[in-house]
Amino acid sequence: MRRKLSIFVLAVLAALATAGVATATNGGLTPVQPASPNAHHTVTAYWVIVGFTAFIFFLVEGLLIAFIWKYRSRGRARTVEGPQVHGQTRLEIIWTVIPVIILAVIAAVVFALLPNIADAPASSSSTPITINVEGHQFYWQFEYPNGARSINTLYVPTGRVVDLEVTAPDVIHSWWIPALGGKIQAIPGRVNHTWFMAERDGTYPGQCAELCGVYHAAMTASVVASQAKYDAYVGSEAALTLGEQEWTGVCATCHGNLGKGGYGPDISSNSVLVQPAALTQILRHGVYGTAGAMPPVGDTWTKAQINALVVYMKRHIYTGAPVGGTP
Amino acid sequence: MAPRSKAAYPVGWKNGRVASWLVTVDHKRIGILYIGTSIFFFALAGLLAIIMRAQLAAPNGHVVGPNTYNELLTMHGTTMVFLVVVPIMAGFGNFLVPLMIGARDMAFPRLNALSYWLFALGGIVLWLSWFSKGGAAHAGWWSYPTLSEAMPWASPGHGQDYWILAIHILTLSSILGAINFIVTIHNMRTPGMTWMRMPLFVWAMETYAILLLLAMPAISAAVTLLLLDRQGFTHFFIPGDVPGDGGSLVLYQHMFWFFGHPEVYIMVLPAFGMISEIIPVFSRKPIFGYKAVAISTLAIAFFSMLVWAHHMFTAGLGIGLDGFFMISSMVIAVPTGIKIFNWLATTWRGNIQFDSPMLFSIGFIALFTFGGLTGIFLAAFPVDWQLNDSYYIVAHFHYVAFGGIVFALFAGLYYWWPKMFGRMLDERLAKWNFWLMFIGFNMTFLPMHMLGLLGMVRRIYTYPDHGALWTTYNGISSAGSVLTAISVAVFVWNIFRTHLLRKGARVGNDPWLADTLEWYATSPPPPHNFDSVPAITSARPLADLRRTLEERNAL
Repeated sequence: MRRKLSIFVLAVLAALATAGVATATNGGLTPVQPASPNAHHTVTAYWVIVGFTAFIFFLVEGLLIAFIWKYRSRGRARTVEGPQVHGQTRLEIIWTVIPVIILAVIAAVVFALLPNIADAPASSSSTPITINVEGHQFYWQFEYPNGARSINTLYVPTGRVVDLEVTAPDVIHSWWIPALGGKIQAIPGRVNHTWFMAERDGTYPGQCAELCGVYHAAMTASVVASQAKYDAYVGSEAALTLGEQEWTGVCATCHGNLGKGGYGPDISSNSVLVQPAALTQILRHGVYGTAGAMPPVGDTWTKAQINALVVYMKRHIYTGAPVGGTP
Repeated sequence: MAPRSKAAYPVGWKNGRVASWLVTVDHKRIGILYIGTSIFFFALAGLLAIIMRAQLAAPNGHVVGPNTYNELLTMHGTTMVFLVVVPIMAGFGNFLVPLMIGARDMAFPRLNALSYWLFALGGIVLWLSWFSKGGAAHAGWWSYPTLSEAMPWASPGHGQDYWILAIHILTLSSILGAINFIVTIHNMRTPGMTWMRMPLFVWAMETYAILLLLAMPAISAAVTLLLLDRQGFTHFFIPGDVPGDGGSLVLYQHMFWFFGHPEVYIMVLPAFGMISEIIPVFSRKPIFGYKAVAISTLAIAFFSMLVWAHHMFTAGLGIGLDGFFMISSMVIAVPTGIKIFNWLATTWRGNIQFDSPMLFSIGFIALFTFGGLTGIFLAAFPVDWQLNDSYYIVAHFHYVAFGGIVFALFAGLYYWWPKMFGRMLDERLAKWNFWLMFIGFNMTFLPMHMLGLLGMVRRIYTYPDHGALWTTYNGISSAGSVLTAISVAVFVWNIFRTHLLRKGARVGNDPWLADTLEWYATSPPPPHNFDSVPAITSARPLADLRRTLEERNAL
């Protein structure tokens, strides 16, 4: 009975392990396919640690299984005692010193790789571009060197170092695009720094990694790497599409895609949508009603940004005041 | 044992079946109250976990909404840490420490009762906060400001205030308990029980108590400042409008984790202590390297005070601090490794009995080792930048906290149950409990490593359809959580069957042929514990006693 059960468990574990190995190729046991030098070196560090820890893992679990198999009681009575060994200083020194050496090697490897992860490569051909990143409840806002802004989607040129100055006006968020390197917290009252350099054209998704409130799960971001798209965006597209980005990335999270309500109330017929002054008040300072609160989502928005939103809402969201008065 | 006299002295209502538990100052009864209450909260916290896994079982789940989900994760974490693991360790310590050191009771029995009732009060306050204005706290068990501040878009309701109040009450309970343990262990050991003859579980409880005294004031201070920020118009944490102005959110992170990391060892060291008691008994050998195991406990405690900022690698502390905390976190792996190798060596050439306490202990070694090894990835701070706050972290700390601590707790429960209640839990059900929990646990938490590597962040209430891998791993994880729940149900049924149906076999003083003094007392022990205590000449008084008797019979 006992043997059957243990064979069954071994079979289940073996199946799990096989499934794991099978998926390793497309992202089961290894971090997301890196697309930036810092992410590449992080994955290298990851595999070095995998090597050492796998050795210790198989050693310990192997000894455990071997010992409990070999020294199982086999029906011996409980009164039968094993050899009364109390210790062995040399063995104990060995299993103290060897882990120290292994950990020292791991730490050395990490420090050796660190400059490639923490610091951007000294540029040979092009200067880095600096992007100001703001985490908000519940969207990311990016400001480009020429003052253009975008919501949730960051456009960058491929092959160029991008320095990110990360902060937040409300609560702590955490910036993370798995393919482009590690996380950095966006902390109110503080500007943190990180960088990446997209090696290939593409779109790299990511998500806020620090619990930031009710719609933490909706706070996604993506980085679009392409010289052409970057030029087009900061050149002319920003002005044309910002209103739409603000609606879909900021307002629609709570008010629904058409403003018909969701977590927040139905605002599609609320005339405040088309009154810039009243809208500014709400965006800058939030709404604190008895039924719930709206965060000051636009507290760092420029006047042009708010106007862009008004224009978009006027055309696509606002359905006019309901007959019979104001809401 | 003399029959309990009914008329020896006037006791009145305090002798009643229920009232005697309410007014008790007996360490054994207080211990059992602690353990029972903790198991109750364990079931509640488990229920919250099942709801969360149901919500995450498939993409775009609709079991609960986002706000409820945040309440669930906050209450699950807070309950498991403050109302389950820390107090159940106090429960085991209460029951066992005086028995193990041959004492009649704890040093301060009334203070002991106060500790328990403060714990119960803290639990009630925390759980009634579901009904407060705005619902339960929803800023996570760390409650980082500004999300936990009173701003309308943060945590304006009273749930967070009740959370703070509960933490204050529970901190007080823990500190009083810790003082009691330290005084008891230092002063009340039976003659002959030197420090180096003390059971390893008592070493663990001594260290647990010292760490509580050192760590608890930090969180008390942190939540006091948070309360002042929320209710008293201060700005300890809330930053000003100009960068560098006003309070510091990173300060709270430091204060919280200065408590939070020692807290991990507050929870795990007593678990190590239990394993160090159980493995020798079921291997029929003495512990391998008693001194190394005892001293490594102290070493872990010392280094645990120096590693807190490895929880803050993504806060942008700078390479200097990150490097220091990487090294200190790796250093702590060494004494932990010493323990694991010593436990392994203890089983070497033993006569291993696969009773349920040993099964859970073996499960503990297997799973805790895995959880410890994934910790090395997180200590390496550039790798942590990638893995932090993803499901990899959730997997890692559940391998330590569930695979490690909870498995040790079940080992301890099955091991000491006959001592506590005089009846044996059913061994067949216990084995079902173990295998279901072992398989269910691995199904729940192994896939989370992969999810984290795929980029799934923690504390999200739902996720869109990211393809077959995400869906499969999340599905396996949720299915595993159901198996784990069933395993706990088997345990509860086992208790019911043993005691209410009276199916459990009565046991003598020492059913496992164990080593330590608690097995010298009757099962359950009388109120005064011992009529006499044998002279202590080693760390294994009962093994000595058995040998003496054998030699005497041989003559």
